Amino acid sequence: MLSQIERLSREVDGRYASDAELTFAIDYVRSFNLRVQTYQKLQEIESMLVQQTYSKMRTLDPTVFDSAGTDISAKWKRDTLRVLRYVAIAVLMDDADTFRERLLLWFQTIMRAFSAQRSCNLTYQVMQDVIKQSLTAPQANLVCPLLELSRRTLGTIA
Amino acid sequence: MVIATELQNPIKRKYPKKHNHYGFRDFFQFDPDKGTIIDWNEGQNILTTEDFIVGLVEGLQEEVGDASAATMYTIGCEWGQKDAFFFEKWFEKEFDRNMRQTNLLFLLETWWWPFTAQGWGRWEVDMGDRKQGFMFVNIFDSAVARTLGDVGKPVCYLYAGLFAGFFTELVKKQLSCIEIQCYSMGETYCKFLLGGQDRIDAAAFWMNEGATARDIEKRLRTGDMLR
Repeated sequence: MLSQIERLSREVDGRYASDAELTFAIDYVRSFNLRVQTYQKLQEIESMLVQQTYSKMRTLDPTVFDSAGTDISAKWKRDTLRVLRYVAIAVLMDDADTFRERLLLWFQTIMRAFSAQRSCNLTYQVMQDVIKQSLTAPQANLVCPLLELSRRTLGTIA
Repeated sequence: MVIATELQNPIKRKYPKKHNHYGFRDFFQFDPDKGTIIDWNEGQNILTTEDFIVGLVEGLQEEVGDASAATMYTIGCEWGQKDAFFFEKWFEKEFDRNMRQTNLLFLLETWWWPFTAQGWGRWEVDMGDRKQGFMFVNIFDSAVARTLGDVGKPVCYLYAGLFAGFFTELVKKQLSCIEIQCYSMGETYCKFLLGGQDRIDAAAFWMNEGATARDIEKRLRTGDMLR
């Protein structure tokens, strides 16, 4: 949203915006209540979401939290919480661009440095399933595309 | 270029241990009253246009002729050496950890991120041949090459010097660097070889003989050296 507003303010330099150019703002206003509800819900069930994702991942791949003999569960939880909180604000603000710019592009290089793409791919795939079970369909439709963006950005091997 | 200052970013004051601070508004603090742009690591930044880079390269060429490449490389070396000390300070402050007790790739990514934020381009480090004593760095969107366009020869001497200077300080061993493929040669990205002087001399010789980056990689991997 903020990125779009900024883009619009540059594009409409010295003129009024057209109806088509304002569509995104109207859509945002219409979706605002849902966004706030989703944001609050994510805040409320954050630890449950991370815990469920963790347990499902362990079941699917018992070695996923083992990095050369070291248990990386605590580190994984910190990283996953951080991504989830950025996802939540991106849902509220309807701003995937800022999410990419402020977190994902940096985090992608860090995850690659630690060869964590496989774990990231699984994390954000499983988390989408957990979200679909825990949130209403319209809420999940706001969250899942951002988790999918996270999966593609962090979980792809270069 | 960056000059260290004492001013501090308000976001940094609030979240001093925030690591993902490379978004445009997080990394730079614009002060319109003072006319300054201070980055996260308290360095003062100056915005320049592509004309500045053209002026630098062509001006140097006019002043010192063919020695301009070596001059740019030397400027880069000194910059890289100084930046290694600057980096060590801010890295240890931000991560509460000794630079030498850190995952090497993570350390390198962290070193390069301010350069990415400042517009020097994204990078990719290939350390697959590190045990053989050389490595490759790819730069996408080199500020110098992008500015000069396709001129048919490598132009990123500043970057080569920067890598040589930084890595020499990092590993405490004299290293040199050569650009073996450049966007300004019509390639899609720039490729640098980093290693001891003997390997860099060999690569320079092969390049003069018309070898491509791929030929050079192959010859280095098979242990082929100048006789």
